[in-house]
Amino acid sequence: MEAARLTAPPDWLERIVLLAIPPAARESVAGDLWETYRSPRQYAAEALRTVPFVVASQMRRNLNLPAVMLQGALIFVFFGGPATSVLLPVLLLRDAYQQTCRPRPQHVFRETVLLSAAVMALLLLIMSAKSPFPASAGIDHATWFSLFLNALFLSPFLCLLRAGLILQGDRSRLLTAGELPRDALAQAYAKFLGDNLCRNLLQAVALAFAALCGFFLGWNGLVIGLFVLASLYLLQDCAQRRGSQLDFVSLRALYQQELARQQHLRRFLRWLWFTPVLVALHARLDTAGLEAGRPIAGLLDCVAVAILCFLLAALDREHGGRVQEQIGLLDRAREKISPAYP
Amino acid sequence: MDSLGQFEQIVLTAILALDDNAYGVTIHAKVEELSHPKKAARGAVYATLDRMEDKGLISSWLSEPTKERGGRSRRHYRIEKTGAKALKESARTAQRLFETIAQNLGGLSWKPPG
Repeated sequence: MEAARLTAPPDWLERIVLLAIPPAARESVAGDLWETYRSPRQYAAEALRTVPFVVASQMRRNLNLPAVMLQGALIFVFFGGPATSVLLPVLLLRDAYQQTCRPRPQHVFRETVLLSAAVMALLLLIMSAKSPFPASAGIDHATWFSLFLNALFLSPFLCLLRAGLILQGDRSRLLTAGELPRDALAQAYAKFLGDNLCRNLLQAVALAFAALCGFFLGWNGLVIGLFVLASLYLLQDCAQRRGSQLDFVSLRALYQQELARQQHLRRFLRWLWFTPVLVALHARLDTAGLEAGRPIAGLLDCVAVAILCFLLAALDREHGGRVQEQIGLLDRAREKISPAYP
Repeated sequence: MDSLGQFEQIVLTAILALDDNAYGVTIHAKVEELSHPKKAARGAVYATLDRMEDKGLISSWLSEPTKERGGRSRRHYRIEKTGAKALKESARTAQRLFETIAQNLGGLSWKPPG
């Protein structure tokens, strides 16, 4: 027991170091630091020298430039330059510390209840006698009451939606960890590529159609351009990287790279699909809300934007966690060698 | 194919030399040995390994957890075909440089081990 304490870092110090290391690199980096442990001081100094490099590397690795630029542009449109300069590094750090598993149900429901509580608190503040917002908003008490009731129902509704996402994630089949024949891995990879091809083709057509509709509906030119570019990118992405000649280790590496690449692509497309809605809400906020002297209508639009962004972020976390779980399982998979027959 | 940076060449050579035993701690020790008298930060080695893995020059996987690492796994690395090709190309360039310098300046008494 005493010997173990001398060759292992103190618990509190290890917990701090573990928190600082991004989850994707935690297992190997923390293990390496433990293996070379000599004293708490040496351990802390080595961790201080190592962790910044690991964080920077994970930031680069997980950087989803198109999605971050799109999110940055939306933040700029809604909140302006100063908020963008503060929130962009937060987005990059959030990517570096991306979880390697799906969010736990308790965590998901706590988050959802907190958001709903914040919405209700905002409504109560608006309705209260000491509200800083002008009472002449043109909304009678019956409407206020119905708004409050809607906010009350928001929490179970969002919880149900997230529970649905968790159940859907549970249903999707993941490759099993442990021993896996090379052919089974190649089959799984080929199926993954086939599914992606269908999905990308469908999305490319849908994006092109949406861009055409947007042109006639008078969407922002930049948004239409983004839809067209994304559609063209998806069409050229149909040329796939097959790995039929590769051995188990190389095929696994290719599969993991493709999983991560497709995750980045899906996240960008998810935000792109909702961009016209967010841009329209912002335009409404300007014309029918704040500038028209109706701050409450504007605030309600802000609430709608917050809920929409919350749902998109939830989808990102759910899908991203599932992909990271799959990558982790592949990391631990061993090649099962079939017995040779005489 | 991108050419390799000097540190990338050293890390790839370390993986090549370590063969089946190439993971964070051993790669860092070998990199320090190869780049002597210069010191190399372990974090820089991790960052380089990540970058080369993204380029497809190496691949990695996790081993079984071990007691001496607090129940954690090692991340093992292996050179891929593209990595080996890039390393050979770098070695050819280094050899040309070595021969040209030795011819014109002399005094390069270093000999490869073995």
